[in-house]
Amino acid sequence: MSTLMEVRDAAVHTTEAQLVQPFSFSLEAGRPFTILGETGSGKSLLAQAVMGLLPEGLMASGQLGIEGETLDLGRPGSQKRLWGRKVSILPQEPWLALDPIMAAQAQVEEGYRFLRNEESDVARQSANRDLQQLGVAEARRKLPGQLSGGMAQRVAFAAARAGGARIVIADEPTKGLDVARRDEVIELLMREVRAGGCVLVITHDLALARQMGGDLAIMLEGRIVEQGEALEVLANPAHDYTRRLIAADPENWQTLDVEISSAGAPVLEATGIGKTRGGKQLFSGVDLTIRPGEIIGVTGPSGSGKSSLGDILLGLLKPDAGQVQRATGISIHRYQKLYQDPPAAFPARATLKQSLADLVALHQLEEVRIAPLMQRLRLAEHLLDRRPDQVSGGELQRFALLRVLLLDPVFLFADEPTSRLDLITQQETVELLVELARERGCALLLVSHDTALIEKTCDRTISIG
Amino acid sequence: MSSLVFAQTPALRFSLRKSLGLFILAGLVVFAFLPLIIGGADPLKQSLRHSLQPPSSAAWFGYDHLGRSMAARLAAALRLSLGLALLSVVTAMVPGILLGVLAAWRGGFIDRAIGAVSESLLALPGLLLVLMLTAIVPDNPAMLYLGISLVLWIEYFRVTRALARPILNSPAVEASRLLGFGPVYILKRHVWPEISAILLRLGAFGAASAIMAIAALGFVSVGVRPPTPELGLMMIELLPYYEEAPHALLQPIAVIFLMVLALQLLAGRQNSGKETA
Amino acid sequence: MRMILNRLLQAVLVAFTVGLLTFIMIRLLPGDVAYRIAAGRYGYDVVDSAAAAKVAAELDLNRPAIEAFGLWLYDLVRLDLGTSLVSGEPVWDELVMQLGHTLQLAVSAILLSLLIGPLLGILAGLNRGGFLDRGLMLVSTALRALPQFVVGLGLIVIFGLMLNLLPTAGHAHGSHLVLPAFTLALGLAAVSAQVARDAMAEVAQSQFYRFARTKGLPEWQVFRRHGLRNVAVPIVTYLGVQFIYLVEGVVVVETLFAWPGIGHALVHAIFGRDVPVIQGAALVMGLMFVVLNAAVDGFCYIIDPRRRDA
Repeated sequence: MSTLMEVRDAAVHTTEAQLVQPFSFSLEAGRPFTILGETGSGKSLLAQAVMGLLPEGLMASGQLGIEGETLDLGRPGSQKRLWGRKVSILPQEPWLALDPIMAAQAQVEEGYRFLRNEESDVARQSANRDLQQLGVAEARRKLPGQLSGGMAQRVAFAAARAGGARIVIADEPTKGLDVARRDEVIELLMREVRAGGCVLVITHDLALARQMGGDLAIMLEGRIVEQGEALEVLANPAHDYTRRLIAADPENWQTLDVEISSAGAPVLEATGIGKTRGGKQLFSGVDLTIRPGEIIGVTGPSGSGKSSLGDILLGLLKPDAGQVQRATGISIHRYQKLYQDPPAAFPARATLKQSLADLVALHQLEEVRIAPLMQRLRLAEHLLDRRPDQVSGGELQRFALLRVLLLDPVFLFADEPTSRLDLITQQETVELLVELARERGCALLLVSHDTALIEKTCDRTISIG
Repeated sequence: MSSLVFAQTPALRFSLRKSLGLFILAGLVVFAFLPLIIGGADPLKQSLRHSLQPPSSAAWFGYDHLGRSMAARLAAALRLSLGLALLSVVTAMVPGILLGVLAAWRGGFIDRAIGAVSESLLALPGLLLVLMLTAIVPDNPAMLYLGISLVLWIEYFRVTRALARPILNSPAVEASRLLGFGPVYILKRHVWPEISAILLRLGAFGAASAIMAIAALGFVSVGVRPPTPELGLMMIELLPYYEEAPHALLQPIAVIFLMVLALQLLAGRQNSGKETA
Repeated sequence: MRMILNRLLQAVLVAFTVGLLTFIMIRLLPGDVAYRIAAGRYGYDVVDSAAAAKVAAELDLNRPAIEAFGLWLYDLVRLDLGTSLVSGEPVWDELVMQLGHTLQLAVSAILLSLLIGPLLGILAGLNRGGFLDRGLMLVSTALRALPQFVVGLGLIVIFGLMLNLLPTAGHAHGSHLVLPAFTLALGLAAVSAQVARDAMAEVAQSQFYRFARTKGLPEWQVFRRHGLRNVAVPIVTYLGVQFIYLVEGVVVVETLFAWPGIGHALVHAIFGRDVPVIQGAALVMGLMFVVLNAAVDGFCYIIDPRRRDA
């Protein structure tokens, strides 16, 4: 096994503070290296320091050894000549990384022309060959706006690799992807590894780290707290944080004991509902009876219509067929929804206190109910004076929960409520959500792309698509 | 209750540019309206022995070719420009915003209908429209006001509609509706704070273009007619005397420059025509 | 296709608006319109009530408003613009010559501004916060705070009167074109420089520009292949908006420099209440605006492949 790149004491700091503590590692041919950490842990900064892509105002230190040469990470621009030729840097969001007004083929071709100095028709053939091998030959003449997400991913991959580098650096390559697409990306990366290259992956995704194998380093608050062989680290975590992280993976959750109380009149009944979107049948003939306190999971790939089903049940969307019947005598305001992106679900410029006060005034609620609920949801009093964009995603989602609980809901549709949250926060949030729903006899329709999460939490599951 | 919320809108946190703009504008307003309070020379009174007299300690701004007090004339011209611009902006703003919200809210036919009206008014360049309206009833500032407002409301309408549409379709509004809030609340808490944040910007740009248009029409002698003091008109009147009395010609130029500059500083940086495109 | 239809519709709207406004104008002319017009045409000495009646019939002043308006528009559709109330010449003949002058001025101004504005703007956008960026910001903001006629006055005073380098009025030689074209170009360039600067800054910060760099392309190729092409789109698109300023500028600048174009004619006609000329000049200027915009559409279609699929 040969070392392709060696990093010594890579660190990031501003003039005032150390953001990433010095860390040394080496990339071996045919062996992936993964850095795993939460949002804000500093993992991306570390990768950017190595690549020479730190944002302005941040400084790097340390050395980079590659092919017998040593570069100073503290000198801006010194890594520039590695780009494309020695190190391929995969973009985070491929559909934004491709030039919107240039055909896919030309964006791959230019790597061959300007980095490997091929003649333009040779370069074109090389580009076509790459696209063909990646199974996106039909993308050739298309503009990025005409490509599906998966195709854009492959085109960007081909474009990044055209310079012929053996090292691939991928920062959050699976951000926002569903399982099927994530597996595709992993397969692309593993091709490089099998071909004798090396892949450095930066991610928050435990499953990605597990599937990549190779070496794994865990990052917490700017420090690597644990590293070693990926499978070993994940099987026998030494650091407390790693243990918590692994426990928070839905795969490892305790299955919640269920006392199915199918008693009670249904709060919602749907018969034969169906929906098409853009000429495509999302689902049809769905029958659903929802009783108080039930927890129902909905899974399926992205774009399959999971959210549409929930919106139809809430009456936010009209079904093409079938009908939805609510229980009589229950206020319409007791059917509520939690959103995927909590900041987008609050009035942007009002404080949380203001939003809650508005709700209390509208429904003439008792204000004294707020304090104990906040305590229950582990929300600190001082957060009330902030605006939605000034609290964390987890906190805001709990505020959203608080907001709907004030109306004593009988049915709550939670639309991917934790997909934007870190693992540990996700676990806390889902636990609270399920606990409170059970306790108050509120039926919960939980939509998630994560089948493990649904399996571990729900009484029964509907699968779409 | 609402003051608590608005106190935090970023529009009210003034940058250095904005403070400078506000400062200049305040200075011009004081200069324009102080004579009304403490009294001053008559802008129309001629006295040929003062003709083209340079600034002195007695008359800081000197006199024009007919011996009229430049200070009085500038102040009167400023009052006309600022007043007409402000009036036009307010007249354009109210229906522009209301129609914009209405179009975004109702969509469909109403949206298309108002859109079509605005498009057809835009078919002709703004100044041409104003020019033709002033030709219908000459010597009447009301036509000037009507024409400018007719051109300005479109910008408010388009910006408001573009801004309100995504807000009204956002999860935040959906959530508020589910929680039982009505249209008034949604306008007050969701739509208005976003619009009010750019109101100043739009208003300042609108006022600047109104002032430019008034002066341009005065300059080509089809807007306000003499002897009414108007900045563009004053320039064309004083142009022949630029050699004997450059100070006189420079004064209305400086005033209009300061006024438009102040408004541009207040408005902040223009956004690459994204709102106009 | 849709694009062309939209522009055609716009042209029809221009004609309708101009027709409507001038129709109102002629109905509101003070005094006995027919008599005045006849006097304008034949001279006050020879005018009599018979001539006035003839004119009245010609202008359909005796018919009900709606019917007269219909006939007025019908004449417009046939491009029968009538004769000038002042000179008695057919409006068309005068317009054709004036249009030539105006186009000469407008096209020179556009080309000149495209030479100055985008170049400086792109350079400034590439070095945000640099000396050029700040300087350009200052100058373009100042220029935009000055009405076009003030810029023109400044140029007249400096180059015409103080340095005595260039003629300030008329259009006898090519040198007469310099000052008015520069006046218009400076105003246009001030805006297009800012547009180009912002567009370049945005592109330089975009993910695709960054990706092009990390792909390892030489800096110049990144700029040429991904920067320039993407910046051109907003610059050209914004030209359409700028044409509003151009048409407005033509009116003012032609008057200032006594440039015998359509803007000049329009202002004179408004002054002399010469309704047929007002109609003709406004119509031609409005249509010029539409044609220029259609040209911009075409350009966008060429440089932005996204439009071809839309």
